[in-house]
Amino acid sequence: MLQFKLVLLGDSSVGKSSIVHRFVKDSFDEYRESTIGAAFLSQTIKLSEQYDEQVLKFEIWDTAGQERYKSLAPMYYRNANAALVVYDVTEPGSLPKAKLWVDELKEKVSDDKLIICLVGNKLDLAAEKESSSLVDESEAREFAKDNNLLFHQVSAKTGENVIKVFEEIGEILYLQNKDKIQESKKPAGSNVSLQRPSTNDSQSCCV
Amino acid sequence: MLNSERRPSMAERRPSFFSPGPDGSLQSTSLLVPHLAGIEDPLPETTPEQVDVVIAGTGLIESILSAALAWQGSTVLHIDSNNYYGDTWATMTIDQLKNWTTLVNDKSSETRFYKDAKLYVSGLVSQGKFKSKNFGIDLSPKILFAQSDLLSVLIKSRVHQYLEFQSLSNFHTFENDNFERLTNSKQEIFTNQTLPLMTKRNLMRFIKFVFEWEKNTEVWEPYADQPLASFLVDKFKLEKPQVFELIFSIGMCRNLNTRTPEGLARIRRFLTSFDVYGPFPVLYSKYGGPGELSQGFCRSAAVAGATYKLNHKLVSYDPNSQTAVFEDGSRVRVTEKIVASPTQHPPNSGNIPPQKYEVHRLTCVVEKDCLQWFSEGENAAMVVFPPDSLKTGNTETVQVAILGSGAEVCEPGTSIWYFSTTQEGPRGDLDLDAALEAMIASILRESSEIPDDDELVQINPDGVSLVNSVKLGKSFKELVSKEQINFIMKLYYTQYTSTPPFDVVTPNLFDLNKSDKYMPGASDNGILYTSLPSGEVSYDEAITAAKLLYEKIVGSDDDFFDLDFENDEPDSKNNNKTMGNYDESAIADDDDDDDDIRMMDAEPVEFAGEMEI
Repeated sequence: MLQFKLVLLGDSSVGKSSIVHRFVKDSFDEYRESTIGAAFLSQTIKLSEQYDEQVLKFEIWDTAGQERYKSLAPMYYRNANAALVVYDVTEPGSLPKAKLWVDELKEKVSDDKLIICLVGNKLDLAAEKESSSLVDESEAREFAKDNNLLFHQVSAKTGENVIKVFEEIGEILYLQNKDKIQESKKPAGSNVSLQRPSTNDSQSCCV
Repeated sequence: MLNSERRPSMAERRPSFFSPGPDGSLQSTSLLVPHLAGIEDPLPETTPEQVDVVIAGTGLIESILSAALAWQGSTVLHIDSNNYYGDTWATMTIDQLKNWTTLVNDKSSETRFYKDAKLYVSGLVSQGKFKSKNFGIDLSPKILFAQSDLLSVLIKSRVHQYLEFQSLSNFHTFENDNFERLTNSKQEIFTNQTLPLMTKRNLMRFIKFVFEWEKNTEVWEPYADQPLASFLVDKFKLEKPQVFELIFSIGMCRNLNTRTPEGLARIRRFLTSFDVYGPFPVLYSKYGGPGELSQGFCRSAAVAGATYKLNHKLVSYDPNSQTAVFEDGSRVRVTEKIVASPTQHPPNSGNIPPQKYEVHRLTCVVEKDCLQWFSEGENAAMVVFPPDSLKTGNTETVQVAILGSGAEVCEPGTSIWYFSTTQEGPRGDLDLDAALEAMIASILRESSEIPDDDELVQINPDGVSLVNSVKLGKSFKELVSKEQINFIMKLYYTQYTSTPPFDVVTPNLFDLNKSDKYMPGASDNGILYTSLPSGEVSYDEAITAAKLLYEKIVGSDDDFFDLDFENDEPDSKNNNKTMGNYDESAIADDDDDDDDIRMMDAEPVEFAGEMEI
């Protein structure tokens, strides 16, 4: 199975975590398995026929509040394959901040294959508000286009468009990594899995 | 037993996690799914006005403590005056090391925890041939024994899922101007042609004994105050090469005075770690050592709800109003305790514990991959220079950890050499230089192309040329290579610590700053200072220190990482359905060029915590 690391970014209170929780909740069916782990959330999805019904797994890293005082560790960005940069469509000040997060991401992650999706959240609240008090959708869309980002507006509350975000990212990741699936029967790597102590004692020096 | 002063645990404070039993009592503490406060709860609008614990410094001990407290249910504000994680345990880029060196050498600084930092950086870095950010250099490099308390905590807390580990099986001892690889398994002892039969027997007898040495008091007690070397010679008739190998390579002791019980414990540590995960005793984390682990524990603490603020400096603490004041003018009330690394002390402090012990370090990045020193498929090795093996006539060992680019800490074609010694004073640096010289001579010899000079090529009777004899170094010892070693970076420094060499932190260190001993006018009365990293090569001190501090704060260490993430999915209808469904061989990684297998959340967990072999 293909496995990818996806990180969340954006200012506090734009609803980053809610998007993930909605995604995990809504995509829960017999093909889709999820774990809310102590370390990160993982969620398995199955792509459509057009993408060979490929099953892939997201390892989703939440900021856990460490973004608040600019205290995200280098570990957070390392080897990220995709990022959701979230802003609040009802909070015009949150888009410029999202732009800063995009800059930060590009500085921290040198992988040019990194997929960044700009996500406007709280679409459900937008209907009740004057359009003048909202983030200008065309501005966000244009910024995304200029910077080669994916763009979606979602509602974590109603679930609107949430799965779409992850599916689109999944599809691109699949196309990027298709070739690797053929050669996926790799020998065990040089990394040691700490949850798998060796049970074979034949090489042991121990009595 | 539960201490009556013990603060209620997170579980007890959050009764919703319990289902009342038939008699109304609360039941089942073992299957709690801890609350992921940092992810599930909305963030508070402002910095908390009151917290249970403030921790200053994000070194490994403080980070483990923070995670332990946060998961226990304490509210934690964790700060660091630096703009990076790790404090004295940090992993740094070359540019970060430049800043660090400047700060360390700043004469105006009130207290010194480092001395004599000398940094050389090759022009190749500023010219762009090598990139500063592609290097991760540890201030306090450490190796992780496969059988150790830190490793159990890494698994229990799931912090290991943030990290990637690799194995280290090559331990070399420098002797007679040559590196000998360690004979560290029973098989190797039996198959080693050079060992006389009697020696093999004696070694086997010792290895059998050492696994249960504590029980066999009658054997070692007469030697309790004697050096381990005399015990090994008297009781097991071992000879110098084996004694040195056991004490210095396997036990990783610093000198010949190591007493018998400590030495035996250290030898057993190595042997019981062997084959826990495979035929190697030691692991290290990719991308950097303790600096990475610190970040992992901090993230874990954040997931449990701790608040993080880098670039945040403590300026004073008032034990009467229990108020901590920070440089930006903000303040917080501390209901339980304030803990700080000595390096994060407020100005005008008066209670920092004395840092009596010196560790001399030399860290080099060299333009050589050093693959000949690693086992196949590995990216690291240890080299030990035992007493009197250097031209300086050293009395303390020099230990060297070598990390290659496969560990993702340096660029391809380079490696990092970490030298350290507990030899104090100017002799310490002389010993480090002598060890560096011996290493350079050896790597140049071993990596030299065989000259096109017939007399230098040895031919076996069967006509096969002995190319490998060059690798062993001996045959061409006199061959002086014209090649030079290029240094990309070279850093000398002396660090101070309150922890004696190879000892662990003792509880009384944390008793110093008690209310009856407050210093009038000091800005740090009531602050509990942590210990700085010692000269010990392993992580052994970290959990001991974090646990002692935890006990000081909570009242007992009973629930230190008393976590159970087995049921990672609280409300799912098909709990555990995902377990064991994955064919590990079918996992492909992302853009890797090495064959890593990521640790997976859904992998079978039946081995979790079972570290027995």
